[in-house]
Amino acid sequence: MPIVLAPTNVELKVIRILTDEKVKKHLESLGITVNSKLTIMSSSGGTVVCMVKDGRIALDGNLSSKIFVA
Amino acid sequence: MLKFALAGNPNSGKTTLFNGLTGSTAHVGNWPGVTVDKREGVYKKCAEPIAIVDLPGIYSLSPYTPEEVIARNYVLDEKPDCIINIVDATNLERNLYLSTQLLEIDVPVVIALNMIDAVERAGDKLDEKALEEKLGVPVVRISALKETGIKQLMDVAYKASKSPRKGSTALKDTALSHLIGDVKIALDGQGVKNPLFHAVKLIEGDEIEVAMHKDTLKMVEEFKKTFTDDVFGTDFEALIADARYKYISKNFDSVLSKKNKGSMKMTKSDKADKVLTHKIWGIPIFLVILFAIFHLTFSEDFLYLGAIFGLPSLEELGVDTETFGGQLLACFYDGAVFSPGVIINNIWNEIIVGNVLGWIKTGVESIGMAEWAVGLLNDGVIEGVGAVLSFLPPILVLFLFFSILEDSGYMARIAFILDRMFRKFGLSGRAFLPMIMGFGCSVPAMINTRTLADDKERAATIRVIPFFSCGAKLPILTAVAGAIVAAFGIGNADVITFSMYLIGIVAAIVSVLLMRNTSLKGDTPPFIMELPSYHAPQFKNLMAHLWDKTKHFVKKAFTIILASTIIIWVLTHFSFNWTFLADEEINQSILAQVSMFVQPLFTPLGFGSQLGEFGWVFVVAAVAGLIAKENVIATFSTLAACLVAVASLNVEGLDIEAEEGIDAVRAMITATGITVPALLSFIAFNMTTIPCFAAVGTAKAELNDNKLYKGTLLFWIVASYVVGAMVFTIGTWWWTAFIWAAVIAIVCYVIVTINKRSAAKKA
Repeated sequence: MPIVLAPTNVELKVIRILTDEKVKKHLESLGITVNSKLTIMSSSGGTVVCMVKDGRIALDGNLSSKIFVA
Repeated sequence: MLKFALAGNPNSGKTTLFNGLTGSTAHVGNWPGVTVDKREGVYKKCAEPIAIVDLPGIYSLSPYTPEEVIARNYVLDEKPDCIINIVDATNLERNLYLSTQLLEIDVPVVIALNMIDAVERAGDKLDEKALEEKLGVPVVRISALKETGIKQLMDVAYKASKSPRKGSTALKDTALSHLIGDVKIALDGQGVKNPLFHAVKLIEGDEIEVAMHKDTLKMVEEFKKTFTDDVFGTDFEALIADARYKYISKNFDSVLSKKNKGSMKMTKSDKADKVLTHKIWGIPIFLVILFAIFHLTFSEDFLYLGAIFGLPSLEELGVDTETFGGQLLACFYDGAVFSPGVIINNIWNEIIVGNVLGWIKTGVESIGMAEWAVGLLNDGVIEGVGAVLSFLPPILVLFLFFSILEDSGYMARIAFILDRMFRKFGLSGRAFLPMIMGFGCSVPAMINTRTLADDKERAATIRVIPFFSCGAKLPILTAVAGAIVAAFGIGNADVITFSMYLIGIVAAIVSVLLMRNTSLKGDTPPFIMELPSYHAPQFKNLMAHLWDKTKHFVKKAFTIILASTIIIWVLTHFSFNWTFLADEEINQSILAQVSMFVQPLFTPLGFGSQLGEFGWVFVVAAVAGLIAKENVIATFSTLAACLVAVASLNVEGLDIEAEEGIDAVRAMITATGITVPALLSFIAFNMTTIPCFAAVGTAKAELNDNKLYKGTLLFWIVASYVVGAMVFTIGTWWWTAFIWAAVIAIVCYVIVTINKRSAAKKA
């Protein structure tokens, strides 16, 4: 499921990233790669704050519907 | 001289370390992307002086935004003697991702382990000896903030810089190691520097790299055809990223032992974020904070105590404000308690600047110079520069509050909560950071747009940054607002100031919306931002910010502003045949004659022909403002001295000598009969028109495109004319609001129809 719909405060695994190459690369350097783990801290109306490694990353709604987790 | 570069993730403390090493006061803030350009200084405490280069923060060596390109190019092309890689220990894994890439370059690397105190405070332990062993480069623990470990770091780096280092890769045990080895040998044969680094980037399919090594690319493509991975298929770039992270977690998990491993822990920052980034309350809380800042800075009725309790004025209390004690008391209270910003302002202006300038003027008069020289010095220079200097307190107080927001980490949250709103206008919330920097000064704000990944978004942001009224425009606002309150007895100065700021913001939003739907169309770039932990603002840091601001402001007052006031004084005291004019003959001066010629242009804005024979003063002030916005008030003060002499200006209690320009503006009001809407239009015009020389120059450099630049100048002229005219006409005849609404509706309709048609054509 895309992270917009994912539950909060549970550790999730990234399975697919459907953004363009440039954005995908940027997400990777921030620690959001396929196979990586993240936890959603808060999710409101599409915008999401997630904990990746030990950092907090904020993502907008459009983007968070393109990152799939399981 | 040896050259060391500071590289690391955004907000990991590079600039703090840089300041500590070089004794500079470069701007530091608690959000990712404060530094957008490289910066040099010298460290002198080693055996030989070392040039230190502070680079913009990067998450990896594959650049995403323009400022990341600067860092990458520096590291690769300028060949520093050593890279000091600052690693934020509170987010070790992510920070090491960049380290694994830096280690691929053939350059000595030293890891500076920063913020380790925060890790230990949380009860976790980090074994830096084990880290050093596994990375194969020296690791030194430091605290950039407390300046500990810095000497040791530099000694280690100095030693490291003396022995060359060959790059090593985290990918050597993966399926790609053969390919990397082959490509490396091929590149090495071509004489490419840093072959290992380039080999890996080439395999990743990095844009810059692919363009650089077209020949070798074929070989890589050949290989890629024979290779597939179960998870990543042929996405080599994702494969490599994954391999790096795997390597990091395999090797470094043991280095950091966490107290409560596995369990999710809410930090204080997370709890604060639950409230401050709340989906409903986030924006109202932000607006309240913003208003509180303006209230604390400008309000002459702190917490509205005066209005609520009906406090008596000093006169009613029978206090003699002529005595020093009474004067001092009047700085704090007069019928209402003043806000801290106003108190500081009063003390500065009434007690310090007022008296000092008075003494200087008396001194000038007493040494027996020619009358014109006394006029030039007293009315031209001292009035003009004094008026500008008198605005130092509100600028500094406002700036202090913004620095606190910035230093605490709240600024990054505002960008986040505003993102959803910004998205509707075609910008990402990221654009908010340079915009709010615009409240300080447009120049660094425009440079900061380098953190925006999309060129069109950047251009649109640069264009509207001046609408976020900068420190230099503040005097126009407070002087005119103060004069409106004093002369017409309406409103509150802080409410007028606040609403003028809002008009600027609204103009910015409307302009962005318009541009993103017409000339600068494009997808809104995604919003991806790291939210730093909150921390208490550093006193030292805040003072450094204020000191920088003060220096900049005072320097400007005594250079550009001083020169401008002299020129304006000369132009108002000489006629076209270069005869000296007394103050009373101001209307025959060169400046008056030229300005009267263009005056009609400003009639729709309320400060044109309808103001009669002295109305040109507003035109002059606005034009002088194109050089530097402080000039507007400096010009008022210089001209007011003449206008008072033109007889018939007997306003009760009017004191042109008084600072803050308020009375100078009142003199203008009396001489010209300008109305309140026209005054507001004057403010709005100055806020949205072509900014100062410095900002125009910066816009040109940052846009780096002649067509865009010319479009920007035209945009500023049109925007200011429209906004000014709108404020004036609606303020004067309220029903014109309907006409404006109709025009806006038609414009919207036309744009939407055209866009729909072109979209249909494409489909």
